[in-house]
Amino acid sequence: MSYLVATSLEEALTYLRDSGGRARVVAGATDLYLKDLPHSLVDLSALPGASVIEEADGLITLGACLTHASAASSILILSRATALAEGCMAIGSPQIRNIATLGGNVVNAAPAADAAVALVALGASAVLVDTGGRSREEAVEDLYVIFNRSAVDSTSEILLKLTIKSCGTGEGSAFTRFAPRRALSLPLVNAAARVRIENGCFREVRLVVAPVKPAPTRLLQTEAMLEGMAPCEETWRLVERAASEEVEVRSSLLRCSARYRNHLVGVLAARVLQAASERAREEEGVDGR
Amino acid sequence: MKTDTGTVKVPIGEEKDFQSAEIWARVTGKAVYGSDFSLPGMLYGKILRSPYPHALVKNIDISGAESLPGVRAVLTGAGLQCKKYGIAVDDELPLALEKVRYIGDEVAAVAAVDPETAERALEAISVGYENLPAVYDPDKALEEGAPQLHEDFPGNTAWQRDLRRGNPDAAFKEADLVVENKFTIPAVHPAYLEPISCVAVYDPYNGLILHTALQSPDSVRAIVARVLEMPLSRVRVIGPAMGGGFGGRVYGNLKLYIISSLLAVKTGRPVKLELTREEEFTVGRPMVSASIKMRMALRRDGKILAREADIITDNGAYSAQAPWVSKTLSERNDSVYRLPAVRTRLRLVYTNKVPTAQYRAYGNQAANFATESLMDMAAGELGIDPLELRLRNCTREGDTTVHGLQIESCALSSCLQEAAKEIGWGSKKEGRGYGLSAAIHANGSLVFDKNFRGSSALARLELDGRVTIFTGEQDYGQGTHAAFALIAARALDLDPQLITVQSGDTLSSPYSTGALAMRQTTIGGRAVQLAARDLREKITRLAAELSGQQVALEKDILAGTSGVPRDFAAVAYYYHTLTSGLNLTGEGKFVPGPADYDESGYGNISLTYSFAAHAAEVEIDRATGALTVHRLVAAHDSGRIVNYRSACGQVYGGVTQGIGMSCYEGYLFDGGRVANPSFADYRIPTSLDVPEIVPLFIETEDPAGPYGSKGIGEIVMVPVLGAIANAVADAAGARVTDLPLTAEKIYEALAGWECAD
Repeated sequence: MSYLVATSLEEALTYLRDSGGRARVVAGATDLYLKDLPHSLVDLSALPGASVIEEADGLITLGACLTHASAASSILILSRATALAEGCMAIGSPQIRNIATLGGNVVNAAPAADAAVALVALGASAVLVDTGGRSREEAVEDLYVIFNRSAVDSTSEILLKLTIKSCGTGEGSAFTRFAPRRALSLPLVNAAARVRIENGCFREVRLVVAPVKPAPTRLLQTEAMLEGMAPCEETWRLVERAASEEVEVRSSLLRCSARYRNHLVGVLAARVLQAASERAREEEGVDGR
Repeated sequence: MKTDTGTVKVPIGEEKDFQSAEIWARVTGKAVYGSDFSLPGMLYGKILRSPYPHALVKNIDISGAESLPGVRAVLTGAGLQCKKYGIAVDDELPLALEKVRYIGDEVAAVAAVDPETAERALEAISVGYENLPAVYDPDKALEEGAPQLHEDFPGNTAWQRDLRRGNPDAAFKEADLVVENKFTIPAVHPAYLEPISCVAVYDPYNGLILHTALQSPDSVRAIVARVLEMPLSRVRVIGPAMGGGFGGRVYGNLKLYIISSLLAVKTGRPVKLELTREEEFTVGRPMVSASIKMRMALRRDGKILAREADIITDNGAYSAQAPWVSKTLSERNDSVYRLPAVRTRLRLVYTNKVPTAQYRAYGNQAANFATESLMDMAAGELGIDPLELRLRNCTREGDTTVHGLQIESCALSSCLQEAAKEIGWGSKKEGRGYGLSAAIHANGSLVFDKNFRGSSALARLELDGRVTIFTGEQDYGQGTHAAFALIAARALDLDPQLITVQSGDTLSSPYSTGALAMRQTTIGGRAVQLAARDLREKITRLAAELSGQQVALEKDILAGTSGVPRDFAAVAYYYHTLTSGLNLTGEGKFVPGPADYDESGYGNISLTYSFAAHAAEVEIDRATGALTVHRLVAAHDSGRIVNYRSACGQVYGGVTQGIGMSCYEGYLFDGGRVANPSFADYRIPTSLDVPEIVPLFIETEDPAGPYGSKGIGEIVMVPVLGAIANAVADAAGARVTDLPLTAEKIYEALAGWECAD
């Protein structure tokens, strides 16, 4: 196997092009050994800007090689994209979070990848470039083909960065998960939300749960129901029922029954919305702040 | 009624937290484990396993594998002339002959110059199978017309037991209250972090040497010699460092040792075989799963009158120690409380699944889960506080229990009271659940091997005045060697850091039945104590001879009447020259009297018994069933504590494993296939899942153990299950009787859902 640590985008793309599909891109490579090892690898972590975190004009840009540990401890992400910090903190173990990257979490295409679930809730876009020099920008949720398969072909395309609209006044986000143990465990269900509270009512809610479909899944009906509703006990009860009813999940010998997972979807949806709305209200300056 | 005598005393060793120097190699990563071990010219072995749960082996073609470059040997069952062997019963062959009985059954083995070639050789072997109907559920395996696994065991019954003590029928008739339930406990793996490996070496001069870490090297050595039909003295086991045992390495993986030996004999070269983690789960030996129907009869005042149990344990395809584990599971727990009458029916059933063996505490924890759950159910029905109900019934010093165990030292009631006090039994927090549980475990079974009930040790004075202890008792991190150094240090009046304990080579160590049945400190420790005393006598005698005057030994100084001190080195050298080369050696032979028990197993089967009571504090998220164990208090009567630090270590580790078994772990099967053969899906607790653990030692002065001490290694795991199950029931207001206690099951119980399957 050959292993190239690319120091420029040009070098990485040229290497991929010359390898004719036998080389693939890696960043943290934490899941690499769970798969068939390719002929050669192109390591992106040394690319300029690979791990950048910056904000300009209300837009947060994150390098695709940003590690989960860095994202989880960034003041900017903690305050302006809280769901992502929480999602990043939930993954694996400290060792894994120290090397696993946001780009990898998306392109690895696991259906309940915690960072990806948070990114979709936050409305993140992915900026990609391929060996032909073509560049495209896609919503993160559109990068999934089937279970565990990404629309990004890692032998010919590179995910460069992710962009998120920063949460401003009256906005908030949150992530939560339910797993059989407190570390190193896939979630039975995870959920993330981004909300805006205007005059005490929900506006522009994005509510995402997983694993339901190949991609982190927005609960569009529940989102629509919430438009104009107030964050209160009654609403959480309605959300619990609506979210449970909106998804169809499977039983799994290794995880849990469909009935229980369905119940968890409702509970987690309500909890994550409540957490996000509390943050939005803090931003809005309610509660005397 | 005798009261407890337990109080906290000064540790036996002068240092409260003694650490043997051998620990440093482990914590600095320098220790050489079996996985690390290799020899020049070593070959790599691999095993071809059955992909079917039950099938006839019609033909095996190994010609393709044999002709591969780099392949040095290919073995099949047909090429061997081995007799059936086993641990409790003889039901295994090194490689399948006519039939495979589970997915993973060993069919052929190869040795090659590297692992990749060995892997390719496996692929080049073609096996013709004829599938047979398989059976996975022990209840179905007992039915008429069920597929039969072994001709020698008709009806798929590997072992059974029907036991009655006292008059249970009368007791149940007389009872004011009968509580009953069915409890299920899945198969669990000891989950030692280092997978089992073995490097076998054979040459005509040295015979067969196995480099593998075992809790009972002498037992494995005897079985390997028997299967290979070699004289016992031609088989030697040398132990590298052990990456965890927990009962799983008493016999380890016999198939692996036998097959690597056969390959070494055939090739004349060292051969290494190593299980993958997946193989550890699919062909390693988990502890039997159990289904326990239990009922208990009580009087209105809380007095237990009788208990009945109908138990089925799932043996899997072969037996290993499952009959012995089933026996302990079916009876040991009965001696926690004063039971006047007992009826037990147990059947150990063959199924086409992974063969089973043992784990720390030999199934006693499964019985604890059932009994202690019933105790709390009874307490609730009778309106008696669970602590009070236990105190009214618990075994005490001087008792002879329902199975004839004679209790010479016992602080169980103090353990219960102290555990309850520490957990805050009298001042329970709102929204939390609390549970109690009690346990007994034997220290060194006198019936495990009737001919070897005790232990022996040698204490050798080195020429520099230091002392080396030779023992067959194994240390794999649990602190046996440190305990022995402390015991010998006290007997010799010597600094424990000047004492080295050796047990890694069957050629130089005395025989031992091994690190099992909590016999190390109690029985092995007595032998060390006697050896050290013998050496002390010899040293003072020789010192007197050397100096021509009376000599007294105090604080490692041999002071003569003239006031001229002689150190140990001078005595050692004097003896060395006197004998032209020998070292002065003390011998310790501790041989307990024969166990007195009848055909039904009634009698005092162990030297002494340890006791424990645990208390748990938990919290449940009522919306999801998620369980948080906040605190676990572990109160132990292990006699006098030899080494406080090691004893705490045993409590932390054993409680953690108990929490694993209570809340997280368990084999899942898809038909005959293990569905979760990895640490991703077989979930042991992480450090974040372990609560605050509080060890309490209620010290008794045991008449049998060295300096009043008793064992602790296995009992630490036992009461955890009952304590957590009862705390969960207290918090949830509903009881889960199927382990592990997952959030899903707790939520189902809370919500009143029907079973999910």
